[in-house]
Amino acid sequence: MPAEAVALPLAVGDLRYRDSAQSGLGFTGGSQVLPLERGRMVSQTLSRADDTLLIREAQRGNRAAFEELVRQYDQPVLRLALNLTRSEQDAQDIFQEAFLKAYRNLGSFRFECSFYTWVYRIVTNLCLDHLRKKQVRKEEAPVAVDKQGVEYDLLDQQADDRAGSNPERDLMRRELGHRIGRALERLTPRERMVFELKHYQGLKLRTIGEMLNTTEDTAKNTLFRATQKLRATLSEMR
Amino acid sequence: MNCEWVKENIPSYLYDELGDDARHELEQHLARCAGCAAEAEAVRELKQAASALPRVEPAPNLLTASRMRLQESLETVKQNSGWQRWVFDPGAWLQQVRFSPALAAAILMAGFTGGALTAYRLAPRAEGNAVATSESSIAGIRGISQEPGSNNVQVRYDRLVPESVQGSMDDPRIQQLLLYAARSNENSGLRMDSINLLTRRHDDTRVREALMYALRYDRNPGVRLKALDGLADYVSEDVRVRNAVLEALMQDSNPGVRIEAIRLLESVKPDWSVRSAFRQLAEQDQNDFIRREARRVLATLPELD
Repeated sequence: MPAEAVALPLAVGDLRYRDSAQSGLGFTGGSQVLPLERGRMVSQTLSRADDTLLIREAQRGNRAAFEELVRQYDQPVLRLALNLTRSEQDAQDIFQEAFLKAYRNLGSFRFECSFYTWVYRIVTNLCLDHLRKKQVRKEEAPVAVDKQGVEYDLLDQQADDRAGSNPERDLMRRELGHRIGRALERLTPRERMVFELKHYQGLKLRTIGEMLNTTEDTAKNTLFRATQKLRATLSEMR
Repeated sequence: MNCEWVKENIPSYLYDELGDDARHELEQHLARCAGCAAEAEAVRELKQAASALPRVEPAPNLLTASRMRLQESLETVKQNSGWQRWVFDPGAWLQQVRFSPALAAAILMAGFTGGALTAYRLAPRAEGNAVATSESSIAGIRGISQEPGSNNVQVRYDRLVPESVQGSMDDPRIQQLLLYAARSNENSGLRMDSINLLTRRHDDTRVREALMYALRYDRNPGVRLKALDGLADYVSEDVRVRNAVLEALMQDSNPGVRIEAIRLLESVKPDWSVRSAFRQLAEQDQNDFIRREARRVLATLPELD
């Protein structure tokens, strides 16, 4: 595959992350970012060449090069883990395990996909494992209210920071947010992951498929199932 | 285009993932079908509502702490490359050439000069000088020229030079070539042979990686089965192996491979992720046999607290 062909998913993906960081709420519709996209895409494509050199160096055992690579991806990785697990401790563990795994297995990275996709494949796998374990634990111990409460504190804090001038509307929005959070927990780990990557991270279904080692079509079907389930769960809660 | 298709594609439409034609047709359909239009509206509402879930931004302290913890661990962790880093890796070398135009040009020039120097002169006078090469070893003819006013023709060509290496399985060169063959050879028989040989040295992490790679990516189910065989002893002690086998169990396109994966994972069935995978299979796998097997394994599972 030529270098340009793998450059694009990286450019689009990474760029959306930055936008979601700026907009706070995280969701960016496809068309909103267009005017800035082209210029950034060019610079992203250029930085691909640096990436390749860094990866080569890191593969030869140069730890500084690896740390440089980590810097480029660690914030979005932490953000993804944090938003999926809703726990700083778990997110930090996933972060740690993901990059150690990446470092250990860097020798097997063969440039068959972009480094971004490769790292994300590791991260999403770890997150899926985490979600699966969490789900099993919850099934077996239904009295998990306390834990849930603790997890949502994190969410409350976040909402408090942004409280605007209309307390009533903020309250309603926060309640809706809680309902969404609970509905998301009812999805299977894979559905949860696809919805997260599509809705909140704004990735293309094709990239999501690549990260989850599946096809674009499967990712699309999973997204469809996720939206159906979310709607059903939310209408139950009303 | 029917309503069912439209409904299934509404999320893709709203997330801007439909091609131009499909989007146009879907919009036409929505304009005249009230049911589907209502469905689209409901999904749009969900999409809006979903944005009410606040995103958690990693606190700067968390990021710094995570980076420091990682840096500390990196001090002691080793890459899984071992001896492979010191031997010639044709794939990596090609990659490097691809990204170094100057080096590529130098190699091209060296090849060209070499080719020109070894160009074979066919002269009618020198009948004793027979063609030293058979047709099958000619990689390509580079050029033909005739000396003006004479009968002499110059043909420049490249020759393929097959080489072979002999040595024990302990020889890094042999290991390197086998690993290369396991990953990159076009011929699945050869991939199978190399995997077969490598399984005897699966205590080497590098080999284990190659086996996991074959299990995940090889197109040939026979090769994947062979790789599974080689990994069998490590399912219980190496989490990475277990994950690779789990992936094969859930996603492999070949039922034979998946059934073999069930056999392997039976020994570690109390593991959470293995257990939940079996549950998922028991409930919703499309393959009857696999569903039954998953139920059987779950039934024999000891209760855990």
